[in-house]
Amino acid sequence: MSTCDDGVVARAVAATDADEATAAETELYRRFAPRVRLFGLKHLPDRSAADDLAQQVMLVVITRLRAGEVREPDQIGSFVLGTSRMMVAGQRRGERRRAAIVARFEPFEEAAETPNDLALDSRRLAPCLAALRERERTIVLLTYYADRSATEIAAVLGTTAGAVRVSRHRALASIRDCFEARMAS
Amino acid sequence: MTNTSAPCPSFGELADYWTSDITPADAERIEAHIFDCERCARMVADADRLRDGIGALARAGSIQGFVNDAVLNRLARDGVRVRYYALNPGESVRCAVWSDDDVLVTRLRGNFAGVESVDAEMRLDSGEEWAHTTDIPVPEGATELVMALPAAVVRTAPRSPIRLTIRANEQVLAEYVFDHQGAIERAPSSNDRE
Repeated sequence: MSTCDDGVVARAVAATDADEATAAETELYRRFAPRVRLFGLKHLPDRSAADDLAQQVMLVVITRLRAGEVREPDQIGSFVLGTSRMMVAGQRRGERRRAAIVARFEPFEEAAETPNDLALDSRRLAPCLAALRERERTIVLLTYYADRSATEIAAVLGTTAGAVRVSRHRALASIRDCFEARMAS
Repeated sequence: MTNTSAPCPSFGELADYWTSDITPADAERIEAHIFDCERCARMVADADRLRDGIGALARAGSIQGFVNDAVLNRLARDGVRVRYYALNPGESVRCAVWSDDDVLVTRLRGNFAGVESVDAEMRLDSGEEWAHTTDIPVPEGATELVMALPAAVVRTAPRSPIRLTIRANEQVLAEYVFDHQGAIERAPSSNDRE
């Protein structure tokens, strides 16, 4: 099951008796919950909202598969993405309504961001960052720490956004190789 | 195994998607691919961890290199304790690192007009090289370079004058001297930090 096609897993879930959780459901969850969570991290304000989204989307997906409501199980990725998009849009509408109410009636206290427990080990990452060429390190810091776009960085460095992206891609590949080498050693 | 037939984006492209630094059309294409490709989804998770890891390093005061005000502003927002110095070409400054410093930042003033990149070399009074950096990007019309060093690194430097030479195309553009007094344990007064 762990090496087969996503569509095969989806069809196995669809064939499941509604009263029992199966290995197919577990496998589908294992495969897609991280992707939905990433989608949530990108489109929602914090990690706990992304965690909730992953749970909610996978519940809907599995329920609809079992009910025979997914017409093309082979395109399960598209179905999960579509469900994720709809739920995020719904959450945003709800969030806008909630924010409007909160702004009117009570002081708003922003929820604290939960740190990423899986953040790369700093002791291993530091020498990889230090090993970059100065120009690449500047671009990486401006991108990932100062949240600047390639266009903004290009304006600072007097180059083009395309050149910044090329340098950034090279830097990221170097960091990844360096980090993996240090993990292996 | 996944059921995608589209070619996988590079890690760089996936990282650009993660920082929203691509066109909406490319973002949509990559997003659809991620939901069809477990391997690429894992790589996006790596990009997320990388961003968090770099942020954690910066907040821990481990940033080393030539930065700009965007990075300094973010350090300030993150509560990183930064000690500032500023030098004109030919100047010397008595400097030290205090026990509660995280990062030391020096504004190296100078005329860098028409220069795209420089090299920086730091030497101890003994002539021994302490640090050397090449191809430092210089913004157009720059009148200063902003050098950041982790306090932890500076604490390891000997008590000695350290000469910093900035060169472009082998020509010396400016020299600065840090008369390093070493690491100081006492808590500084509130006037010590900018």
